[in-house]
Amino acid sequence: MHQWRVSFSRAWGFLQKRRLDDQLQEELQAHLDQLAEENIRRGMSREDARAAALCEFGGVEQTKEIYRQQRGLPFLDVALQDLRFALRGLVKRPGFTIAVVLTLMLGIGATTAVFSVVDRILFRSLPYPHDDRLISFGLLAPIERDEFMLGAGYIDFRKEPGPFEAITSMAPGTTDCDITEQNPVRLNCAQVEQTFLPTFGTEPLLGRNFTAEEDRKDAPLVALLSYGLWKSRYGGNPEVLRKTISLDGRTAQIIGVLPARFEMPTLRPADILIPQALDEAQQRKSAPGAVLRTFARLKPGVDVRQATAALQPWFELAVSGAPQQFRKEIHLSVRTLRERQSSDARLASRILLGSVFAVLLVACTNVANLLLARATVRERELAVRAALGASRGRLARQSLTESLLLGLLGGAAGCGLAIVLIRVFVSIAPEGIPRLQQAGLDVRVGAFTLLVTLAAALLFGVAPARYKPSTEIMMGKEQVGARRGGSLRQTLVVAEIAISIVLLASAGPLLRSLWKLQNAPTGMETENVLTEQISLGSYNYKEAAQQFAFFADLEARLRRFPGVVSLALSDSIPPAGQMRSTILAAVEVAGKPALAEGTGGPVGWRAVTPDYFRALAIPIIAGRGFREEDRLPAENPIILGDALARELFPGESAVGKQLRLFKTPDGPWRTVVGVASNVKNDGLATNGDPEFYLPWKNDPLINLRAGYVIVRTRMNSKSAASWMRSETGSLDPTLPVTIETMNQRVGKLTERPRFNAMLLCLFAGIAVVLAAVGIYGVIGFLVVERTREIGVRLALGATPQSILKMVMSSAARCTIGGAILGLLGAWFCTRMLESLLFEVRAHDPVMFGLAILALVAVALCAAWVPARRAMCVDPMIALRYE
Amino acid sequence: MESAHGEVLQGTLDLMVLKTLEVMGPLHGYAIAQRIQQVSKDLLKLNQGTLYPALLRLEQRGWVRSKFGVSENNRKARYYSLTAAGRRQIKTEAARWERMAGVITGMLAGTKGA
Repeated sequence: MHQWRVSFSRAWGFLQKRRLDDQLQEELQAHLDQLAEENIRRGMSREDARAAALCEFGGVEQTKEIYRQQRGLPFLDVALQDLRFALRGLVKRPGFTIAVVLTLMLGIGATTAVFSVVDRILFRSLPYPHDDRLISFGLLAPIERDEFMLGAGYIDFRKEPGPFEAITSMAPGTTDCDITEQNPVRLNCAQVEQTFLPTFGTEPLLGRNFTAEEDRKDAPLVALLSYGLWKSRYGGNPEVLRKTISLDGRTAQIIGVLPARFEMPTLRPADILIPQALDEAQQRKSAPGAVLRTFARLKPGVDVRQATAALQPWFELAVSGAPQQFRKEIHLSVRTLRERQSSDARLASRILLGSVFAVLLVACTNVANLLLARATVRERELAVRAALGASRGRLARQSLTESLLLGLLGGAAGCGLAIVLIRVFVSIAPEGIPRLQQAGLDVRVGAFTLLVTLAAALLFGVAPARYKPSTEIMMGKEQVGARRGGSLRQTLVVAEIAISIVLLASAGPLLRSLWKLQNAPTGMETENVLTEQISLGSYNYKEAAQQFAFFADLEARLRRFPGVVSLALSDSIPPAGQMRSTILAAVEVAGKPALAEGTGGPVGWRAVTPDYFRALAIPIIAGRGFREEDRLPAENPIILGDALARELFPGESAVGKQLRLFKTPDGPWRTVVGVASNVKNDGLATNGDPEFYLPWKNDPLINLRAGYVIVRTRMNSKSAASWMRSETGSLDPTLPVTIETMNQRVGKLTERPRFNAMLLCLFAGIAVVLAAVGIYGVIGFLVVERTREIGVRLALGATPQSILKMVMSSAARCTIGGAILGLLGAWFCTRMLESLLFEVRAHDPVMFGLAILALVAVALCAAWVPARRAMCVDPMIALRYE
Repeated sequence: MESAHGEVLQGTLDLMVLKTLEVMGPLHGYAIAQRIQQVSKDLLKLNQGTLYPALLRLEQRGWVRSKFGVSENNRKARYYSLTAAGRRQIKTEAARWERMAGVITGMLAGTKGA
């Protein structure tokens, strides 16, 4: 009770300082006057009366001081005082202030920007309640990149979900679906089980989830809309729940709207959720059944390891159902949802975060150095203040206030830089960095920045705050304090150089690997080639014949154009992956035994028109390419990629051999008519799967719903693209079309390594510049400090060269110390890069050597300027100095 | 405050001020000081300046309130008066003081007896 009153009164006193001071003055004066009058009445003279009154009263100023301390908030008073003093000091030295704020802006801005990007990948919780208990689990087999379960196996498993509180499944990926009413649109539909939303703990914003009855085969179709679709197509109208929507020609009742923050666990965009309607009887009949993505929520207190152990018996059972020869290649996979979503972005994120913290550290070191240098300059002032009774704590507080103020200024500037940097990141960043579009400065990132700023201010503020002025300086012993601060500053520079070397040595291999990657042969010629991606709607093009007819029409139309050198259709294009695939064990060679053990690994294949090899300039190294007559139904030719040909027919020619594909005992025998040279099928870094080619024709085996047109043209790509677009549009104006040059497609593959390498180079560059500034500052200061000594030496006969040597040798000591430490650090740190590198070793002695050479050169250049100045010191001036 | 003879003991000044205000009604600072000197028959050497921080303390705790008025010789002066909480506080303080005095007296008597 008292506490409250007192605090309130003190706060009031703090705010009303001036008025209350006047009142106190009046009150005390009245008291003194009355005392004096009393004394006069007793017969004293006026002067004596006044003196006696003062004596009786005790110290007036002391009373006021005690009174003020008790009345207001002395702590805040002092803080404000310090702040005012610090501000005045900073304004008075604009050069110093700008240098510090800029340095901090670089450090804090870069850190904030990188944090805002990697936070969503590494730390921030996913938009589901208790997201740490969500996992993705299933089997891993060579043909699938992510874990999966098969229909029948899942139906059995779901009866006894083991260590899980809930499990659910969805069809892999999302499928195109068309709204086929007025304003037809192509959307992404996701087919999910009825347990999908409950497992992820998500409630629809409007309406309800579908029921188990609606998740059966032949049940009337129902749909949940995404928030975005609801807003854009229905204007956010809640009446939408009474409407139906026509999806691929089927009428679906809209039963709910998903919340705005909902996202698919696979991070694919989905506009509509529809029931998966898994048909148990059918899944059992056509074993192994459909591929499903399976997710689960762990029971509380169960971790991933325990869940994996608990799933082991189930896994063994599941594997025993697989054909004997494949069993070894199937694994159990259980991982957290976060891990699944960010698998390959995590390492890069950690490395970027680590390196940006290193930059921040260098920035802090530099600022600490500047502050230390300034403390040395201000030693006289500090000594005076200490002599006047300022305690060491009081001086330290003043110094920390100054650091804090600088830190906050730098932090504010850093926020501005971060906003710009985030924009830059988002615009140049490659696809596939999860949730990059959401990156931005929000409360969480802001709090992080504030924390970083405070930590930084503490970091660079401690050294000068600990600085104890010696009062001896006032007696003319100047060098005492300066020398002591000097060794600390040199240590800081050593640290800066070491960190810079680590960053340089890390950026080097990334750059070199990027260069190699960009020059890696793709197996084809990508100049002057345009690609057009087309995906036909399943509603408008229901029959395979319709689909085939569309592409035939398109091919005929495009071929008429004079600028076309060659034109081909294909269902996939190297080197981006996503080709259709089978396994080596499913390829049967006439007259040879089947593969005894294992799957033999995946084999990719694509259906192509005869001009495909010409259009991409893929050489045929044996036999011939496809011809038009190969597209007749009776013909069954096949062309093998070189790698596959060598694997199937080692040491002999593949041309003329007979093959049967896809484990179809009654399928046709196909004749190998040619061997094409290898192309990269899965990115640039790996060779990818071996491949074969089938002719593009009207065949049920070849689903022609989606395809690429490949055009090699003499025209410039822009006009060719607009012409392709208009030709496609005249066939079907509703068709979404993506046109890219082949170079753009290939370029996309190096975007990620380029992004990583670029950022790391940027950080290394900043660190080197800061280190150079640091060494320049320290050596420069050393020269100023020792001007008199240098003057004496010169006067006593030292040559300018020897002075130069003396100064440079102290710079060299810092540099060599930093280089040794940096080398050790780089040795440990670059090991983490290993998996990001392509044909480059992380511990590359050339790169290490270059990093050190570069830094030593920069450091010595930075030291050269002040060293020259030292050489030119005029002994007469130096000796009169001060 | 030095511990010379006649110095005001820590904490007792508050009680003295409160009691003065109880007996005399609203007073200004100078009058309070004079009254305390007078009652103590000049045995106490009150450093009159210390009165003001004490008054502030009492006011902050809500035992005393102050108001500007005009003094007997037509000067603007600040008058302090006791609040209800102040009256209650006198009782507690007085009781504590008596207890303390009793203890000290007992101690002194005991020492003499031994």
